Amino acid sequence: MIGHSIDRRGALLGGAGVALAGLGTPWQAGAAEKAAPFSVVINTSPWFDGFRGVVEQYQKETGNQVTLDVNPYAGSLEKQRSSVRAGTGQFDLLIMNGLFYPEMYFGGFVVPLNEIDPSFKLDPSCATFDDTIYWDEKTKTCNAKTGKLMSMPINPNIPLLYYRNDLYQAHGLKVPQTFDELYANAKALHNPPRIYGMVQRGVRGPADVSYDWFPYLNGFGGELFKDEKGGDFTVTINSEAGRAALNFYLKLAHDCGHPNTGGVGQAEVIQNLVTGKAAHAILVIAAWAQMDNPDKSVVVGKINLALPPHAPGLKSAPTLGQWLGGIARNVPRERQEAVMTFFRWFQTYDAQVKYTVAGAPPVRIDVLNSDMGKQQKYRWMPVMAAGLPLARQMWTVPEGAQIVAVLELRLNQAITGELSSTAALNTMASEIHAIMEKGGYKTGRLPDLT
Amino acid sequence: MGQPRAARAEAAWRVLTLAPSLVLLLLLTVLPLAGLLAMSLTYITWEGGRAHWSFAGLAHYRELATDGLFRTGVGNTFLFAISAVVAEMVLGFALALLTSQARWGQVAYRTLFLLPVLVPGIVIGAMWKLMYNFDFGIINQALALAGLPAQDWLGSRATALASVILVDIWHWTPFCFLLLLAGLQSLPADVHEAARIDGANWWQGLRHVTIPLMIPTILVTLMFRIIVAFKVFDEVYLLTGGGPGTATEVVSFSIYRRFFTQDRAGYGSAMSVVVLFVLALAVILAMQIGRRRSAAA
Repeated sequence: MIGHSIDRRGALLGGAGVALAGLGTPWQAGAAEKAAPFSVVINTSPWFDGFRGVVEQYQKETGNQVTLDVNPYAGSLEKQRSSVRAGTGQFDLLIMNGLFYPEMYFGGFVVPLNEIDPSFKLDPSCATFDDTIYWDEKTKTCNAKTGKLMSMPINPNIPLLYYRNDLYQAHGLKVPQTFDELYANAKALHNPPRIYGMVQRGVRGPADVSYDWFPYLNGFGGELFKDEKGGDFTVTINSEAGRAALNFYLKLAHDCGHPNTGGVGQAEVIQNLVTGKAAHAILVIAAWAQMDNPDKSVVVGKINLALPPHAPGLKSAPTLGQWLGGIARNVPRERQEAVMTFFRWFQTYDAQVKYTVAGAPPVRIDVLNSDMGKQQKYRWMPVMAAGLPLARQMWTVPEGAQIVAVLELRLNQAITGELSSTAALNTMASEIHAIMEKGGYKTGRLPDLT
Repeated sequence: MGQPRAARAEAAWRVLTLAPSLVLLLLLTVLPLAGLLAMSLTYITWEGGRAHWSFAGLAHYRELATDGLFRTGVGNTFLFAISAVVAEMVLGFALALLTSQARWGQVAYRTLFLLPVLVPGIVIGAMWKLMYNFDFGIINQALALAGLPAQDWLGSRATALASVILVDIWHWTPFCFLLLLAGLQSLPADVHEAARIDGANWWQGLRHVTIPLMIPTILVTLMFRIIVAFKVFDEVYLLTGGGPGTATEVVSFSIYRRFFTQDRAGYGSAMSVVVLFVLALAVILAMQIGRRRSAAA
């Protein structure tokens, strides 16, 4: 029905729709535009099924062809690098992770969207993910006011607190606001090996333990850099707040966590949740679809969501794990335009509803705040709508791949007992400082913690 | 006059026929190696859609000397390669010996023992990761049935490297078995016969006849396996990702991370050059020893 109404609307508007696109109503023009085939390089995140679903819908509605090249997380980045550095790129649309998009902006590998279509405007309802869809080439910062629109928001991934609502009701527990409350609840429900109070990602992976720990770091008031937006890259991870965050993370893992936290990645966290072995986890919203899927979960309808906890007096600080769609510079113009046609369709309200139904969180705030959120199936939507404005970017520098490697190793060493929390923080600070110094940033570091 | 002309013609013919192979070798081996060496002396950055190369001199090599992660990787790789290959050689030889002496079912044994080496690396990783899984793995379930506590096979520093080595032994013992079996089956029967007539028992026959005759095959197998074991990547990538901490960090994985994940092509190249040099040295050394042993035999 939705597809039919869009086709009819597209037919009615006809050529006038194209003109209207220039007047800031891109969704009307995008309804049934014909375009050249294009390819997408994407990874197999938990939200991938939703993206595939919406692409299939786009193909059905428009008759346009889209090829998906699906890869593991790290493989996707490698393919993107190889493609954008070649004379002619293999992939047209790059689905870039919140950690490596700066490398694509900084390297000049993606085209500002208005260079392809000067009339294109991002729908004001779309989330801008802490301005990370914009890039100011002069200041090398993500800035909506001075930068150009470089990418389309594709996935608003943020971590939220998953908790077992049935157990909360049985034990008379209150949804935690602070880290201490989370600890108390996790401890109350911890009954290994039947159920673990809190399952955390502690494995050394492409971006596992660091992504899991950042809501704690920011939630305790810690920062990676002193003032990244202001251009001060003094490394402050080894602050007292950083130490409090890491010590709390370790205490949670030790007292009420999985016995193998050092080897637990995102797949294992999801596995523990859907098999009923985890009472809590801080996990990306993209994994939600599996919780209520009776084919995959034994806890259908039993899990609820809340914002990640924080220290008293501070705010919840979910970490942005967004995915952005950038258009490769080194591909033919007609394919770049084909991606723009897709973007115009993708940002419409109807397309975003279909995206949500297919299993991915939408990028439009009005969809998140719609009545869909009142349905049991979409009970995550209001929590996500509340969390998105609080979401924080890990960093916006192209050295992200080197920084994350340092964080993953040292945090994992702290979890497995190879390093003390103080040594891990001091080592991270020293190594990240060296990376920033080599990159020519205004940087420094706090004195070592003792 | 006729003879030198014929010799010259033959020499020219040799050069002509070898030239395509030499050119191919140059293009596929020497040039990439030269490229690797050149990259190891540069910083490569990307800006404005273009690569910017700047001369780094020996900076990457100096950094290598102070890179703790690289040192750990080298140490773990040695430990991994030596333990895995020794176990594979001993097991492979024992299986080959038993199979070669079996009166019936040789083909069935050979097929059965060969199966693991036919399984793709990605399947092996997935399969063993499931088996080692703390919560749901078959190994811990078996321990539970025996009343023993579950072990954190891949997540504990004490067991992670040993667990990866075990997978490698399972995977590669059939390779050693196959080569050693071929060696055993090609040994001359009359030497064994003569030893038996002279009164040698099974053990004496093995020690004084079979093993000395098998030395060339054993050395070739050992060299193949050592080279492949030093390049171990897939098992570590799939099972542990180098963790916990640095417990299973191996040098190929370190290179992969630096070169590809962290996009430090210059530094990754320097690591590759050093590893290549060490491996080449080890191969030359092994070949020398092999030649001496063969000559002595």
